Amino acid sequence: MNLSAGFKPLAMILPGLALAVLIIGYPIYDLGYASLHEVSRFGQFRGLNGLTNFRDVFQDPLFYGSLIRTVIWTFAVVGGTLALSLPIAMMLNEEFYGRGLARVIIMLPWSISLTMTAVVWRWALNGRAGLFNATLMDLGILKEPIEWLGEAHQAFTVEILIGILVSIPFTTTIFLGGLSALPQDSYEAAAVDGATRWDQFRHITLPLMKPFINIAVVLNVIYVFNSLPIIWVMTEGGPANGTDILVTYLYKLAFRFGQLGKASAISLIMFGVLMVFTIIYVLLVMRGEAGADAEE
Amino acid sequence: MFHRKVARLAASALAIGLLAGSAFAETTVNFTVAEYSSKTGPFYKQVAADFEKANPDIKINIEVVPWDSLLQRLTTDIAGGTPPDMSIIGTRWLLDFASQGVAEPVDKYLTPEFKGTFIDTFMKPGIINGKTMGLPVAASARAMVINTDLYNKAGVKPPKTWEDLYNASEKISKLPDTFGFGLQGKEIETDAYYYYALWTFGGDILRPDGKSGLDSPEALAAATFYKKMIDKGLTQPSPTNYSREDVFNLFKQGKVGTIFTFPMLIPQIKAEAPNLHYAVLPFPIQKTEATYGVTDTLMLFSSSKVKAAAWKFIEFTYQDKYRKQFDLGEGFLPVTKNIAALDYFKNDKDIAGFAAGLPYAKFAPVIANWEEIADTTVRALQQIYLGQVSPEDGLKAAAKKINGIRGL
Repeated sequence: MNLSAGFKPLAMILPGLALAVLIIGYPIYDLGYASLHEVSRFGQFRGLNGLTNFRDVFQDPLFYGSLIRTVIWTFAVVGGTLALSLPIAMMLNEEFYGRGLARVIIMLPWSISLTMTAVVWRWALNGRAGLFNATLMDLGILKEPIEWLGEAHQAFTVEILIGILVSIPFTTTIFLGGLSALPQDSYEAAAVDGATRWDQFRHITLPLMKPFINIAVVLNVIYVFNSLPIIWVMTEGGPANGTDILVTYLYKLAFRFGQLGKASAISLIMFGVLMVFTIIYVLLVMRGEAGADAEE
Repeated sequence: MFHRKVARLAASALAIGLLAGSAFAETTVNFTVAEYSSKTGPFYKQVAADFEKANPDIKINIEVVPWDSLLQRLTTDIAGGTPPDMSIIGTRWLLDFASQGVAEPVDKYLTPEFKGTFIDTFMKPGIINGKTMGLPVAASARAMVINTDLYNKAGVKPPKTWEDLYNASEKISKLPDTFGFGLQGKEIETDAYYYYALWTFGGDILRPDGKSGLDSPEALAAATFYKKMIDKGLTQPSPTNYSREDVFNLFKQGKVGTIFTFPMLIPQIKAEAPNLHYAVLPFPIQKTEATYGVTDTLMLFSSSKVKAAAWKFIEFTYQDKYRKQFDLGEGFLPVTKNIAALDYFKNDKDIAGFAAGLPYAKFAPVIANWEEIADTTVRALQQIYLGQVSPEDGLKAAAKKINGIRGL
């Protein structure tokens, strides 16, 4: 590879790179600057204070609780979403009467804002007046109404389930795109060789879908990790901070308690965590692909 | 050729426009209004229109912001360098605004005559280090409201003491699908719902030396009392799933015997549950009588360049006819003497019930970091209500944390 060939692609991505630096880089610079300063509750800088904000964060037990819950939240929501979206996408990929309608119905929740969805669920899950309990009691499944959001573990579980529900449309869309691009002849050949549906899924669909699954994982992790509305609307991180994830805790620190310096520090930590995750994941995927290429 | 002409024409028109603009020197006052109800925005817009008619050189630009996002909105506006000229804020935030130099002291604008229109009690929370940092714009006091139908059905008398309330709640809870006492356990003012008990048990939010009062025996007695009511099934189940509005809704549905609430609930009950019979009563007493007085403040921003015009508008809004419309429309208690003298506030049984507590009303302490202190209190209460910690441990830990936040 000569130098000019190496420079040309670089020059071609330069405009995009410059835009990304402008859009992503400046806020990060701003956050970094704020995190090293004492910041008044109205965003006025009061002088450098070194790593005090970071020390405050690391001495805060609520930070660790939120961090652990963020990990659980992200893994559970993304894992659940993937596990449900792939079968749904495969079903929607089959030819059947009314498929267009079914696809629209699956996509519909996407068009409603997350906050709206969360508000509706908050009402529906209200213990005494909510539709959810009323329905379950009408069906005879419940005898007594359940206060779904009254206790932290239960509330967090419910929020994860709703998180999965609202992530399905996006993920299904990615998978549908992938499935429609799969070559049909491999399936026909496999069927001729006597492969069952399960064999076809394991040996054809899954490997060929890998790039789409990977992109779904990375994008969903980024969205879910940073997602405020569901938890904020339904429980505001409560009761007793039992459903706080980093982003809800950050929001409280910044806009309720006016600790903008500490909030900036947490923001940066979150950015770091996400970046490390993405890099590791991309590296793993690349190594996997390199390995797969070598096998062939 | 033609295009160039047009461009030149446009440019000169623009220049003339600019000149004309400065010749008539219209001053714009930006006013952020907190939305108390759907009536708030239209009310202030009408006052502003009247004001603009009387003062054609001043334009009032009103922005209505919901309470929930008000502090965040002002924070970002101030941080971004575009604060309004005046705003309604919660008095509990005023110290932060004052100590950061965001609020402008208004003493130099405040004529003795104008000052005399206000009720002194409500001026006090706005005075910080001897300077008046804002004017009271809305006030309410809290009280106990009982469902008299449920009390009659259970055959119990309206409670005067906490012991009475406990016994009455026990009987009312035995009625089908009914709870004796509505206890708020989440979100805004969960701490206030506890302060009612704390105060009437003889405790206080802060000790005289400024340290947290949550580790006092009175605070423990109050929290233990609430916890006992939860455990005995005298409250609705899982209070930590009930925000203020949720508890009030239960009351409107006639499912709860007793709640603690604000005057603004009365118009809601009349509109949404016209058949509900209720009575407004003072809080139950253990050691002393108390109620929670809450005021909101109208403040000027120190960065404003049109303070004189803004102040002119402020004085305009405090005319009796506007204050009457505002207080009656929103269901507030009056902050000015003339309105307080109206028959309505003496004869209306409900409003009088709330106003009765004013002589002994307590206000949230005007201290820095109040929101964080309140949140610490709420967290401790939720842990206690859920049974995660004992009242004693929970309150002690909260008091220690609060003392830390206060730097004591």
